[in-house]
Amino acid sequence: MRTNSWTLPALLALGLIACSGEASRESETKTADASATPSIKVWWFQWDPATGLQELGREFQAETGIAVEVQQIPLASYQEKVFLEFGGSRTNFDIVIGDSQWIGRGASGGLYVELTDWLPTVVDLATIHPRAAKYLCEYPEGSGRWYAAPCETDAVGLAYRKDWFEDPKERAAFQARYGRELAVPATYEEFRQVAEFFQRPDEKRYGCAMPSDRNYDGLTMGVQNLLWAFGGKWKDEDSNKVVGHLDTQGTADAIEFFKTLMKLGPKGCERLDYGQVLESFTNGSTAMILNYFAFFPGIHAQFGDKVGFAVVPSHEGRRVASLGGQGLSISAKIPKEQQERAKRFIAWFLQRSVQEKWITKPAGFTANAEILSSPDFRAKTPFNGPFADSVDAMRDFWNVPVFNKLLAATQRYVGMAVDGEMPTQEALQKLALEKERILKEAGLL
Amino acid sequence: MSSSAPRARSLAWALVGPTLALLIAFNVFPLLYNIASSFTNAELIGGEWRSVGGANYARVFEDELFAGALRRTALFVVCAVTLELLLGFALALSLHRGLPGKQVVLTILLVPMMLSPAVMGLYWNLVLNGNYGVVNQGLTALGFDPPQWLTDRDLKFWSILLIDVWMWTPFMMLIALAGLNAIPPSIYEAAQIDRARPWKVFTRITLPMCTPVLGLAVLFRATDALKQFDLVMAVTGPNDAATQTLSTLLYQVVFRDGSVGLGAAFSCVILVLVIALATVFTRYIDRLQSKDVTA
Amino acid sequence: MKWLRWLVVALYLLIATAPLAWMGLSSLKRRADTISPHAKVLPAAEAPSDPTSPRFEATLDAYRELNVVHAGAQQSFWRHLGSSVLIGLVSTLASVALGTCCAYGFSRFRVPGAKDWLFFVLSTRFLPPLAVVVPVLIMYRTLDLQGTHVGLIVLYTVFNLSLSVWLMKGFLDEIPRAFEEAALVDGYTRAQAFVRVVLPEARTGMAVTAVFCLISSWNEYGFAMTLNSSGAVTVPAYFAGLQGNIEGMPWPQIAAGALVFVAPIVLFTVLVRENLLRGMTFGTIKQ
Repeated sequence: MRTNSWTLPALLALGLIACSGEASRESETKTADASATPSIKVWWFQWDPATGLQELGREFQAETGIAVEVQQIPLASYQEKVFLEFGGSRTNFDIVIGDSQWIGRGASGGLYVELTDWLPTVVDLATIHPRAAKYLCEYPEGSGRWYAAPCETDAVGLAYRKDWFEDPKERAAFQARYGRELAVPATYEEFRQVAEFFQRPDEKRYGCAMPSDRNYDGLTMGVQNLLWAFGGKWKDEDSNKVVGHLDTQGTADAIEFFKTLMKLGPKGCERLDYGQVLESFTNGSTAMILNYFAFFPGIHAQFGDKVGFAVVPSHEGRRVASLGGQGLSISAKIPKEQQERAKRFIAWFLQRSVQEKWITKPAGFTANAEILSSPDFRAKTPFNGPFADSVDAMRDFWNVPVFNKLLAATQRYVGMAVDGEMPTQEALQKLALEKERILKEAGLL
Repeated sequence: MSSSAPRARSLAWALVGPTLALLIAFNVFPLLYNIASSFTNAELIGGEWRSVGGANYARVFEDELFAGALRRTALFVVCAVTLELLLGFALALSLHRGLPGKQVVLTILLVPMMLSPAVMGLYWNLVLNGNYGVVNQGLTALGFDPPQWLTDRDLKFWSILLIDVWMWTPFMMLIALAGLNAIPPSIYEAAQIDRARPWKVFTRITLPMCTPVLGLAVLFRATDALKQFDLVMAVTGPNDAATQTLSTLLYQVVFRDGSVGLGAAFSCVILVLVIALATVFTRYIDRLQSKDVTA
Repeated sequence: MKWLRWLVVALYLLIATAPLAWMGLSSLKRRADTISPHAKVLPAAEAPSDPTSPRFEATLDAYRELNVVHAGAQQSFWRHLGSSVLIGLVSTLASVALGTCCAYGFSRFRVPGAKDWLFFVLSTRFLPPLAVVVPVLIMYRTLDLQGTHVGLIVLYTVFNLSLSVWLMKGFLDEIPRAFEEAALVDGYTRAQAFVRVVLPEARTGMAVTAVFCLISSWNEYGFAMTLNSSGAVTVPAYFAGLQGNIEGMPWPQIAAGALVFVAPIVLFTVLVRENLLRGMTFGTIKQ
């Protein structure tokens, strides 16, 4: 054991050398603060649009001298980190690009700065797509009280392997087996058939994949495309009543159908986060995925003409796409002058000329209704057209202040139903009761 | 220690005081805070506390969620500790009478228990992945139809348990070895003279003489397994009905749902359990030390 | 029976080491090879032309790329390792210092209720971190310690005190009192006797205690991920925080980083192997 008395000091010395680097970095940032380059910090989750926003931020800095730093945090832990910050006396970020459903929690908790009076002075609200306004920016929905400015507008769409779909051999085989032409599926039944057709585990080729992760909201976002199409609901249209609306045949059918699709994907596809859904497609093994449009530019860049894009399938004429996308909200827990800087950035970002640049950035999707409806925009890329159509079909999950509790319960019970741990009907009944309990506790029912 | 008694006493307190004060500050304050907030609707993002009476406790006792997590954790503790004990004891018996290179083998075997469960749990995700995990690729090559370790509802709990067993079996082995080494060879020699059968030697001598230290090992592992958090977080996340343990449910309730009050009530209930277990534990150590079987 | 014993040991040796060996192999791959549907088990000098081949091109890129800031992180692996080292070392020094003093007090003086105090010290170890983390968080918010090195250093120091006190008490009890008494007779003060006579004798014990404190703060995750999720992030919290990354997990870099991260622990395991059990059982088993 004699060596020990030497090892420890030696390691200590080594460690301190290693740390001195970090310490000096810390003092660097401190001096940077002191020299007072005005800057704002934006938090968003980690994906391509955030990289695009960072690029735009550099242009903003060139124009105004205010530096913009976009900090990207993996989605799985994004919500916890943001609300942990909000619990303190000052948040680390000035602008948070919060998930659309957080707006109730942010607005009613006094965490987001209300923008109702200010926003119309910098942008013509009529240019903001009404669905983006309703779901991304206002709380309560459609109340005209704004707590965010639209940043990224997004919806779930379909990406498929065009080259496989156009392969004459595949087409012939499909024709022989299903008696119709192999085409981009318009309905979920067609989607199922095509997935079944391409499901060939021996060739390491799979039918379909869609979000189904249990950590944050993957499964809920994956299921709800089907849920609305099959006539299911999260709640009553006009009130917050859940029992009798969620635990209905339509919802159960949607989940049962979702379960059949889970057998037509890569192994373990009943638990894929957005990145893993993307990966199952980009590794060349899966024929079709349902995922957010923001991921499609990356796919297009990798595969070029080999891939195609479409709106989500429908069922009995109903087509609804899960809404994605986020608004820019200003933290109420930062000093006044920082809030002013944040407002300057938002005002700058919402200008038509900047929005035109935004859509050229990797995966930047605008909420500007004029741009969305322009033929130029639709023609620019193969995914812009389906995207613009999806925006008209998108709907969102709960966005009340207890959204996080409702989401956690949904993930848990729908997860049990999808895994077969609990019969679907029973899981839905329990979920409905649980949701009403949460809503009552929050005084929303 | 002769010097004047009051001086010695104040010196003694000066030595032990800071440590005890720190421990009290970091254990008693949280305890009081938990008790106080457990009767309120406290939220993680702040805001006014409002008293809700015993509602949080009522939920902890009524909601299947909490009972489920408790049952699952109990199952985890029992199965993990039993498996680790059996495997560890078997290994100790195999190693005990000396194999060539025993020291090297022993050191290698011990490595898994020193590693970070959070990092290793993350890494097992790659190893056990259904599509590109090496385990399933190996099983497929051997002609099996491999299971989905991390996503199958019946398997994911057991996969986490097996990772725990992988990490902690060495600990049991080490303790069992210590127990075996403490048995005087003269007893075995006497048994040999009596021509006792190997099985009898094992059940009459080896096992009873190892029991005290093995009991200690079981208690150590049980209290650790009760806290199981890192592996579950790494493998399935905290909101999976099939794998939710006490600690991960607590994480879900406090950090995702933001319900600090409810979480505090749950913490208090867990605390009562922990205190019960800790009492058993400390009594056991006390008894062992007074008998001095561990020296 | 000897072959059976061999078999058991050999089998378990395989199980214990295979995941680590695979980690080593993965750290030599490129990302595409770590998630290839075809098993890649044989390192080769150059990439095979057939994508289904079990060979892969071995490269040290993953180690070189440890200084890259991955998508979803704010700092490179080395920075996080720096945080881990700083937090681990300082908290270890503090716990050993405090624990040694405390253990000395319990070992040499009559402290009223000593036994109860000692068991109180031990029982703090049973508490699940998640059960105390919210009050600590509130406390740290008030003191502005959330997300700082100091915050985790203090916490780990306290967290390791039970281990440090119990281990050091065992070691100090083994040092004959006659040593100090002789020193006192020679005119040393209590403090001098402690520093000049007891501490040198307790050196081994302190080194062993330090190693175990270091390992436990090195590997800690629950407090690290909740209190320090956005500043002074230690390696376990950093790796776990990459989950949910849209670009997928950077497996080769994770494997390489994990190996770098566990290397000192393996080294320590070898160094303290004779005292391993003692350390793991808080000194209740002394071999």
